Amino acid sequence: MTGPADVIFYVLAALTVGSAIFVATLPNIIYAAVALLFTFCGVAGLYVLVSADFLAATQVLVYVGGILVLIMFAVFLSNRISSVKLSNPVHFRLPAAAICLTLFGVLAYTAISPAFVLKQEITYQPTTARIGELLMTRYLLPFEVASVLLLAALIGAALLSRPDRPDIPRPDMEEPK
Amino acid sequence: MAPISIDAAALLTSVQSIVPEIIVVATAIFVLLLDLAISEEKKHLLCGMGLLGIGVALFSVYALGQGRIEGFSGMIVHDGMGAFFDVVILSACALTFLMATGYSEWEGTHKGEFYSLILLSTSGMMFMAKGTDLMTVFLGLETLSIPIYVLVGFHRNRMSSLEGALKYFLLGAFASGFLLYGIALIYAVTGTTKIPVLATMLYDPRILASPLFLAGTGLLLVGFAFKVSLVPFHMWTPDAYEGAPTVVTAFMSAAVKAAAFAALIRVLLVALPGMQPVLWKVLWGLAVLTMTVGNLSALVQNNVKRLLAYSSIAHAGYILVGLVSGDVLGGQASLFYLLVYAFMNMGAFGVVMLIAQKEDEGYDIANLAGIGFKYPALGALLTLFLISLGGIPPTAGFVGKFYLFSAAVKNGYIWLAVIGVLNSAASIYYYLRMVVYMYMVTPDVEVAVPRPPRILFSMALCASAVVVVVLGIIPRSVLEIAERSVLSLLM
Repeated sequence: MTGPADVIFYVLAALTVGSAIFVATLPNIIYAAVALLFTFCGVAGLYVLVSADFLAATQVLVYVGGILVLIMFAVFLSNRISSVKLSNPVHFRLPAAAICLTLFGVLAYTAISPAFVLKQEITYQPTTARIGELLMTRYLLPFEVASVLLLAALIGAALLSRPDRPDIPRPDMEEPK
Repeated sequence: MAPISIDAAALLTSVQSIVPEIIVVATAIFVLLLDLAISEEKKHLLCGMGLLGIGVALFSVYALGQGRIEGFSGMIVHDGMGAFFDVVILSACALTFLMATGYSEWEGTHKGEFYSLILLSTSGMMFMAKGTDLMTVFLGLETLSIPIYVLVGFHRNRMSSLEGALKYFLLGAFASGFLLYGIALIYAVTGTTKIPVLATMLYDPRILASPLFLAGTGLLLVGFAFKVSLVPFHMWTPDAYEGAPTVVTAFMSAAVKAAAFAALIRVLLVALPGMQPVLWKVLWGLAVLTMTVGNLSALVQNNVKRLLAYSSIAHAGYILVGLVSGDVLGGQASLFYLLVYAFMNMGAFGVVMLIAQKEDEGYDIANLAGIGFKYPALGALLTLFLISLGGIPPTAGFVGKFYLFSAAVKNGYIWLAVIGVLNSAASIYYYLRMVVYMYMVTPDVEVAVPRPPRILFSMALCASAVVVVVLGIIPRSVLEIAERSVLSLLM
């Protein structure tokens, strides 16, 4: 099986795995976060390749747009960037390697096990339309309840983070003592 | 592609099945917007609007009747059970609003967000209690939890409030994860999240024996156990209950418990009766552990809020006793007890709220000293609620416990009933200890004047007292409604 799709697959896989290695090994946590960005994008590309377009878009929106930005903000807000060295110390190398290798073994075994039937022909079909239709019909109620949930979360976040009196703005970042 | 075909008639029935929830959510949004429009002095209007909305929602539950209305392709159902819990949850919410009239003035929680968060949480509880699909149950659980996390930390300047909120939030997020993972595993084995369909799948012994399914059920149980604070998933309860604004504590103790138990009862009785031969051992152990640990810990508490928190853990154990057998009799007893518990516990919190002058320090048990004779009405009310919590006749608490334990005996769980009764006897010690403080301990300092209750606040206390006394003397009709509600599940 060779063709342009295979080339793209290997490029994406290399991007994903390569930047994942950087995430694990880079000493600076900001650099690691940037490497994580490439890992997420690579996974999104792999999703596109197996014709899961909705999943790919969600991956970009949620992981790249949401979680990664959240990590960055958490790092920025929880440290004094100027003085504290942002580091990503490495401990417990051997146990970690053992666990990771075991996990890799299990996953690899599962992936090549006969439980999965290989499809000969991949037909590319957009999934978004079908998912959208289901959201508006069978899953209408969970969809709407989720919007109530988001409303509650928004109100709660605004309530907890706003200053006590609106006329005195709170300093947006306090120096730790 | 072809346009989506929408069945207008089915949609109308669907909307009908969630009318009470729609009213509650609409009220929440209206209160939030009204908050912007009115001046600081008129904030009590918000509370009034909320109460009006709850009243309309209660009426809509009544108007929908006992019939079974399924909606949204089996996502939710308005049946007897749903109606019963709608009434319990809305009553708890109404009591909270009535008490908030006074509390908000003292503690400055007169904010639109306060009321609309309580209403949004209430809507989540109702979705959870009526959900017939694990997806609805999960979303309802999250919708009820997130406002509660915020409300526990509502007093942003009190350390205990923030501590309670953070603990509850972190542990609660984990518990939600457990629940969701359990649902995912069950879906992986059975291919469905619908509770009635799950029941039919369980006739297949291969599914019943599948380790994935067992793990899924276990994780599901952990998620529910956290929300109703069963031991050993109760660690957050004392801190969250102590730190939260007392009116929120009252709401949490009554309504969250009712909603989570509603979903648990639905899952246990409808989806998992096939698991009962295995599951009763787990539930038996949890019930015994919860009752014992809750009561023993409550014995040594000196903070009234913490004491009531441990007592609420113990009560979760009592309610679980009714679910061990997985039959109608036990379910009926649990439903009745949840209703009674909502009123007596909120009543107790209400009186304590009046006696305590301020959050944190005000809740020491020594503050109760001398209250009994100086303020006879308050003393009498608190005594009534406490003896009902302890399960002494002629209160509703006694009737509730009587039916719970007799259901256990009838189903052959004699030891469970014995342990429950022993626990109940031990609990009388700490309830009466508060009564002793009120009537027999002479205060070291002048008895502090309790806060003068607002009219609506007094109404809430009186209503709770009436329910506790009336259901203690003539429980027949409500027990029958509870029985019909459980039977409506099994139809």
